[in-house]
Amino acid sequence: MLPGLLFLVGFAIYPTVYSLITSFYRWNLNNPLGKQWGGWHNYDILLKDPAFWHSVWVTVRYVALSVVIQLGLGLGLALLFFRRFPGDRILRAMLMLPMVVAPVVVGLLWRFMLNAQFGIVNYVVEQLGFTRIDFLGEPGWALPTLILIDVWQWTPFVFLIMLAALQGIPEDILEAARVDGAKPWRIFWDHILPLLRYPIAVAVALRLIDAFRVYDLIYMTTRGGPLDETETLSWQIYDAGFRSFDIGYAAAFSWLMLILVVVVTTVFLRLMLRKEDLS
Amino acid sequence: MTGARRRRRRRMATVRAVVALVLTLLFMGPILWMISTALKVGTDAFSATPKIFASPTMDNFVHVFTEGSFARALGTSLFTAGLSTIAALLLGAGIAYPLARYKIRGQQHLSFWILSLRIIPPIVVIIPLFLMLRTIGLTGSVWSLVVIYTYMNLPLTVWLLRGFFADVPKEVEEASFVDGAGRLRSFFGITVPLALPGIVATALLAFIFAWNEFLFANILTGANTRTAPVGLTEYVTPVNVEWSNIMAAGTLVVLPVWIGALLAQRYLVRGLTLGAVK
Repeated sequence: MLPGLLFLVGFAIYPTVYSLITSFYRWNLNNPLGKQWGGWHNYDILLKDPAFWHSVWVTVRYVALSVVIQLGLGLGLALLFFRRFPGDRILRAMLMLPMVVAPVVVGLLWRFMLNAQFGIVNYVVEQLGFTRIDFLGEPGWALPTLILIDVWQWTPFVFLIMLAALQGIPEDILEAARVDGAKPWRIFWDHILPLLRYPIAVAVALRLIDAFRVYDLIYMTTRGGPLDETETLSWQIYDAGFRSFDIGYAAAFSWLMLILVVVVTTVFLRLMLRKEDLS
Repeated sequence: MTGARRRRRRRMATVRAVVALVLTLLFMGPILWMISTALKVGTDAFSATPKIFASPTMDNFVHVFTEGSFARALGTSLFTAGLSTIAALLLGAGIAYPLARYKIRGQQHLSFWILSLRIIPPIVVIIPLFLMLRTIGLTGSVWSLVVIYTYMNLPLTVWLLRGFFADVPKEVEEASFVDGAGRLRSFFGITVPLALPGIVATALLAFIFAWNEFLFANILTGANTRTAPVGLTEYVTPVNVEWSNIMAAGTLVVLPVWIGALLAQRYLVRGLTLGAVK
């Protein structure tokens, strides 16, 4: 037990604490003065910087929209697969595959398909009578497109959880409601949905945590552009740390991000979960 | 009456099957398109009217394997993902087994603390880890990735293994004590074989996460130690994007993970939700 725990403590506590301490220093690797105490300097700059709030806003929109759409679609798909039909097992196995594709591959693949000149999506767009769209390069289109890509990759994940949850509902509850003459959507609303509270909470929390850190996809597609429309928190921190080498600033930035993720996730779980769920 | 109902039910099943087939094709479409592009010669891949069934060729795969360093990157990925998976399993089992078997004070807190590590975005710890690994001279070496992936996968393996170990009936283990087996022997002789399907599924998931990882790999590897996801970016240059090669290389990155996912299907939900939903 001990080696594993020591390893975890070393790799979890040390970097986070180090990062916290660093965030109070003025420290740019390009600056010959080296490391200087800065107090709240980095935080002060960040909180007054519209670019920071902009990236918070981009990230929040990205996370909220993709998670909501995934939940809706995933639940819908799960209801579709809930009752057996011929071929359901094979289709379910095929459906889950997007989520194990490396995000790097996902980014490049969609960039290829969405290409304005030879992409298959734009071919379809043109056949439908519209003009070609540079989905990842045109202002106003890039963020919704990234959200759609995320939805494509992660709806299967929500779907699998919802399906497992639906299949865990005792048949007699549904049967009793049906005998009472309840309409299908009433059964869903009154009997099924309340039982899905815990699985929904888990699925959404995991998606929240994951969507907040979006990086690979952006690296491979928009790199923050067009202009600054897709500059998410992860991207900006990467930019500050590994392109401007502003270590102190990047550390403060990443701590603000950590706080945001923790607050959003815990508030959400508090709202969704009851005490008995945690045992 | 019942005949009519049965017929209606069968019709509904057919409708559902058709809708599900269409939706599945939508989700599969991009991946099928990647594979089909990988099998096309360049002129077919970029023709004005997309060709779904062009004469297939293995040229792109041959190119990806023989030119440049992608074959090597695949080897590096296999090495780092494989080794870190083994390390995470061993260290994880060391934590998970006591958590599953003994009543330890603060056990619940410890479990949740381990789980909560998952919430930290990698970008938050990457600078300190980078500096730390640079100090001990590990940047640019595959070992830095092995270490990081082991850490990254530990919460996952602890949580999953804890569940799988707890599923093994205590009585079976106790029976082996009576027969005179020691703790360690009963663990490897009884518990591990009984929990094996779960352990294999845990290993597959850990492997998939390490195999697909990009952020750390991109920052910590040098020219000779690229992993496959980083190797893919080599085909994207400011002057040219080698799409045919990217699709072939992308297919090679995805294929092993796919096979693994299909094999571990039954455990995938449990694994991806860290055991929260069975």
